[in-house]
Amino acid sequence: MNKVLICEDTLIGIFTGIYVAYEKKMDHSLIQLQLQNHEELLLFSEYENVTADEEKAIKVIRTLKKTFGDDVYQWICYALATTDTLKADAVYHGIVCGLSMKQKQDFMGNLANPYIHTIFKLSRMASNETHHWLGFLRFQQLENGILFSRIGAKSNILTFVAPHFQDRFPNENFMILDEVRNLCVVHPARKQWVLVSGDLIAKEMVEKLSGSEEDYQSLFRYFCDKIAIKERVNLKLQQQMLPLRYQEYMVEFQ
Amino acid sequence: MEIAVRGAMSVMDKLGILTDAAKYDVACTSSGVDRSNQGQGMGNSIASGICHSFSADGRCISLLKILFTNECIYDCKYCINRKSNDVPRASFTPDEVADLTMEFYRRNYIEGLFLSSGIINNPTFTMELIYHAIYKLRFQHHFQGYIHVKAIPGADPLVVQQLGFLVDRMSVNLELPTKEGLSLLAPNKTRKSILAPMRQIQNQIVSSKQEIAVYKAAKPFVPAGQSSQMIIGATPESDYQIMSVAEGLYQKFQLKRVFYSAFIHVNEDKDLPALPGGPPLLREHRLYQADWLLRFYGFEAGELLSEERPNFNILLDPKADWALRHLEQFPVEINKATYQALLRVPGVGVKSAQRIIAARRSQKLGFDELRKIGVVLKRALYFICCNGRMMYPTKIDEDYITRNLIQVKEKLPFSLDGTTYRQVSLFDDVSFHGQTNREERQLALFGQI
Ligand code: SF4
Repeated sequence: MNKVLICEDTLIGIFTGIYVAYEKKMDHSLIQLQLQNHEELLLFSEYENVTADEEKAIKVIRTLKKTFGDDVYQWICYALATTDTLKADAVYHGIVCGLSMKQKQDFMGNLANPYIHTIFKLSRMASNETHHWLGFLRFQQLENGILFSRIGAKSNILTFVAPHFQDRFPNENFMILDEVRNLCVVHPARKQWVLVSGDLIAKEMVEKLSGSEEDYQSLFRYFCDKIAIKERVNLKLQQQMLPLRYQEYMVEFQ
Repeated sequence: MEIAVRGAMSVMDKLGILTDAAKYDVACTSSGVDRSNQGQGMGNSIASGICHSFSADGRCISLLKILFTNECIYDCKYCINRKSNDVPRASFTPDEVADLTMEFYRRNYIEGLFLSSGIINNPTFTMELIYHAIYKLRFQHHFQGYIHVKAIPGADPLVVQQLGFLVDRMSVNLELPTKEGLSLLAPNKTRKSILAPMRQIQNQIVSSKQEIAVYKAAKPFVPAGQSSQMIIGATPESDYQIMSVAEGLYQKFQLKRVFYSAFIHVNEDKDLPALPGGPPLLREHRLYQADWLLRFYGFEAGELLSEERPNFNILLDPKADWALRHLEQFPVEINKATYQALLRVPGVGVKSAQRIIAARRSQKLGFDELRKIGVVLKRALYFICCNGRMMYPTKIDEDYITRNLIQVKEKLPFSLDGTTYRQVSLFDDVSFHGQTNREERQLALFGQI
């Protein structure tokens, strides 16, 4: 009988699912991983809910890092940050394939395997998006001095962008709110950033801007306007490089 | 009186004038140096570079690109800021430059500063002003983001040296490809005065690297390297001459980048060409493609062009053009070819060549796998075989393949009808950024750059 494991859509949830799949000691081709709320009904299958378990997940993470190296682990994390509903199954079966490879570090090179190819595509999507937000997200200075940013990300990339800004602005208080997930990175000056629910962010606070904020926004808008060479204007290209879904969050387009 | 008027000018007005005056400078990259913050002040630097916005011309905005002043005593004929032009003039103060940089940076508008300048009073005086602004940024504001400054030919080498220890990148503009072009269009500049600071910067980069090798805490000098740029199409040089000059700059001066900027007609002058078709963007594009081949694909200028064929093909990119003239070297067997041979196949880029090498370790590759890897088969199919078989039975015939390749529409960064233009963001900016640097590192390992 085929087995479908339903796991929570978090790193811990999915890695626990992989742990449980291995525990079954069944033929891997008979097991499928699905995400909670995205179950797909398969005939002749037994469904089982997997409860996220940190200990089990950590065991899987350790094995992955040891066997394939940190880079491959990073690729997998990016793939799991996307909203693709097949990601958990792709990662699970990709790992099964990877463990049978002779050169395990070549994992990501094995694009002929459809699961690894899926991991590759998803991972690239999330890491590209991360890289875009590193440049495109904008902070506004609030009245209380905090730098506040709002983003709308396709993949769950907050935890990938946070370390970059912590390193860049160690002495600033800053917050990055992902409106899609209602999650917020909070970085108190000189401390470690944390991830909190967006509900904890007071609406009135983020609406009060510091006195000079508008001035700098206008200065930057003016700069962006002046830097363009009119003999080379190409709005189509501009939009291709900077899709509208980012522009929405950028001061120079408002 | 004049000073009073100038004093009254707002930062907004100055920013407008001095951005307008700086926009023709091509380089806006922030790549080449990794520096984490360590809890000090503000800022870090990411070797792969980060693009923060795109202007209406489709060019990447990464740095606050401004002139310190456009009150220039020189009279270069191609330049909007030349002395004889009647344009609004302005100068920043070092504090204004530092404040703008810090406030833009905190809001994540920019990756850092690109400060260039017209020549006020004399070159040394101008560079000292630049030095003051950078000094304030680095030591008063503890700014650790990316800084690129122009070294001004003719300035005291001592200022160039001091500044070099504070910035990430320095560049001296070659301006025009040849000495003759320079004396015609930039009467106040000479080839000698331009090459002198270039040589100085090169030597100091080398010696600071040696010092760091011995003594880790030694200060790095221009760690992201040196670049330069030249104007294309204002003077009559051929592509072959231009590429040879670029090759010389890479080999003899160890430049990190050479930028090409299609001449834009801003001044009426009898010594300037009319260019009714607008700036020569296709030509600029071909030069960037060829430049890429020199830096990452192991090509030499002499392989791509010659005295007999001094200009690039309008219809084909330089690599396809080369391959068509060397059909005896094809088809290449994907499962056996060396990395260098793969790189020379049209439709195979640095990334896909690397992926081919990695993927064929675990299995034999066919055309399906190549497609997944990202090889552009429409272009590559005439030049490759997998396990001894070509994709389709095809004639290895120059005319036949040329016709077919021209039909595969080349993705140009602008349309050829001359109505819309776009900067060659293909190579330098955005998503290709990360790639460049991984490639650079890879190549550095092989001792190629
Ligand atoms: S030195 Fe020449 S190119 Fe530079 S600003 Fe002055 S006139 Fe323009």
